[in-house]
Amino acid sequence: MTSPVIFNRNFPSLKATETVADAVRRMLDDRVSDLPVVDAAGGRLVGMFRLDRLYATLLPKAVLIGYGVPDLAFVSDTLGQLREKMREIEHLPVRDFVVRPRDVVAPDTPPLEIVLLLHQGINNIPVVDPADGKLVGMVSARDLLNALCGEGG
Amino acid sequence: MQGEPAHAASVLFGLPPLLVATTLFVVTYLVIMSDRLNRAIVALLGAGALILVGVLDQHEAMRAVDWNTLGLLLGMMLIVNVTRRSGLFQYVAIWSAKKVGADPWGILLMMSIVTAVFSAFLDNVTTVLLTVPVTMLITEELEVKPYPFLFAQIFASNIGGTATLIGDPPNIMIGSAAHLTFNDFGVNLAPIIVVIMAATMVPLYFLWGRRLSASPECRKRVMNFHEGEAITDPRLLRQSLAVIALVIAGFMLQRQIGIEPATIAIFGAAVLLLLDNLGKDSETQSKNVHGALSEAEWITLMFFLGLFVLVYGIQKAGLIDMMAQGLLGATGGDYKVTTLAILWASAVLSAFVDNIPFVATMLPLIKSMGPALGGDQALLPLWWALSLGACLGGNGTLIGASANLVVAGLAERAGTSFRFLEYLKVAFPLMLVSIVLSHVYVWLRYL
Repeated sequence: MTSPVIFNRNFPSLKATETVADAVRRMLDDRVSDLPVVDAAGGRLVGMFRLDRLYATLLPKAVLIGYGVPDLAFVSDTLGQLREKMREIEHLPVRDFVVRPRDVVAPDTPPLEIVLLLHQGINNIPVVDPADGKLVGMVSARDLLNALCGEGG
Repeated sequence: MQGEPAHAASVLFGLPPLLVATTLFVVTYLVIMSDRLNRAIVALLGAGALILVGVLDQHEAMRAVDWNTLGLLLGMMLIVNVTRRSGLFQYVAIWSAKKVGADPWGILLMMSIVTAVFSAFLDNVTTVLLTVPVTMLITEELEVKPYPFLFAQIFASNIGGTATLIGDPPNIMIGSAAHLTFNDFGVNLAPIIVVIMAATMVPLYFLWGRRLSASPECRKRVMNFHEGEAITDPRLLRQSLAVIALVIAGFMLQRQIGIEPATIAIFGAAVLLLLDNLGKDSETQSKNVHGALSEAEWITLMFFLGLFVLVYGIQKAGLIDMMAQGLLGATGGDYKVTTLAILWASAVLSAFVDNIPFVATMLPLIKSMGPALGGDQALLPLWWALSLGACLGGNGTLIGASANLVVAGLAERAGTSFRFLEYLKVAFPLMLVSIVLSHVYVWLRYL
């Protein structure tokens, strides 16, 4: 009954105490936009460090309310000003930016459910062992494509 | 049962209708005040229960609802829902901030005036939902604390809303019940509202304004805003402004054209929806119309619906007449004392409880005092006192008006705390100042 797995067991992750600068370096090196954050001791999933959460810190808080300021085309802050803001948060631990994953799957989650999640735009889904809460893998849209058409099949 | 009056016999277990209606009314109002359950649910349950126990039948309940109030509210909500997509509100806010050279106190004044003017013509909650986020964006760029700005905007929205028939729900209800027009409100309330607005800003200057400052770099950032970019849909903007102008003209000519405000507002909304959807495919049309309809504040509308039925229930059962007699007894039937008592009682009560159920109860109560005080004409000062008290009283505490809670909620989401007591310390005395001014005004002009 062993079907070939879709998910990637060899994935980059972050410890909660690592800094935003560490996370950004890992993202650039590994070409990913979401990284799972695990606790240092047990390898349990703490949450996700996502680029959209990081970008939110660069935005005026008023925009994040979701009312009244639907676009920022009238604001002319420069790239230099945004780089300054970025420098202010680089030393902070990723713990401060962790968000709950939009969805979590188990190692035995049926492939069609994974196709559905990816279809809904949820990428980089953590694969967690329901028995001990440990992070055992990550599944991305690329992993699925590889499982469908790559040499693994 | 034969031969007995139908209504008396139909109340559950033969209980006296006055007792049943009063109990249901009091329980419903207590649950509304407790804020544990959504107010629309409570009002509809209370109204439904009145019918189920037989105090009213469905036909009476339907007749009790003031459809003119509901129609006017719905029409204006729809017009705003379409208009706000154009970016008009952001444009005006940014434009006004730049007009004063991005000086913080100047911005506070300008944003308060913008909020007051918008609130006079639109629902207060909608106004603050559209203007407060822009204020927070500007204060963030200026690196100044947003609290004084938001505080001033709460006051401005409640004060501005008092000035016109359509500015605040109590006025819509009063206008509809007392057959007062848009112009009546403008002539009788707008003058004192301008004075109160100015008088409110003076203490705010000494409390916060004189210490507000922003660095030249921060001010430059705001001055670099391109307000023109905030207009997302110039065609929609022109259409919206044209329809709003026509609707307001309609309100002003209400007596001459003989058309009620609900018709004017709903017809205006329908025309705006037509203009917005003309030539679009059916999918876009249903998306646009669905958006405008679903974003109407159905909770408020259903709350009103339930309240009208509930208040009619106690009116039919005789409680309103008893309360009116009680009030007249307490004021010795003196018309001046009654007017001023209504002003002060409305203000203090509205600071702590929702002014909508209070005003809904006061409408038939004031009407039933008409004969004792000398007819409908004699009631006019009482209506103005009720409007000033109920609308301005809402400024007194953070829970006094929906706009206050909305601003506090927006602020907390952006990381600025709004505490009940901190707000009360400044707001309650400031609200009392506005009532003292109203007292003098009502006294000099009408009594």
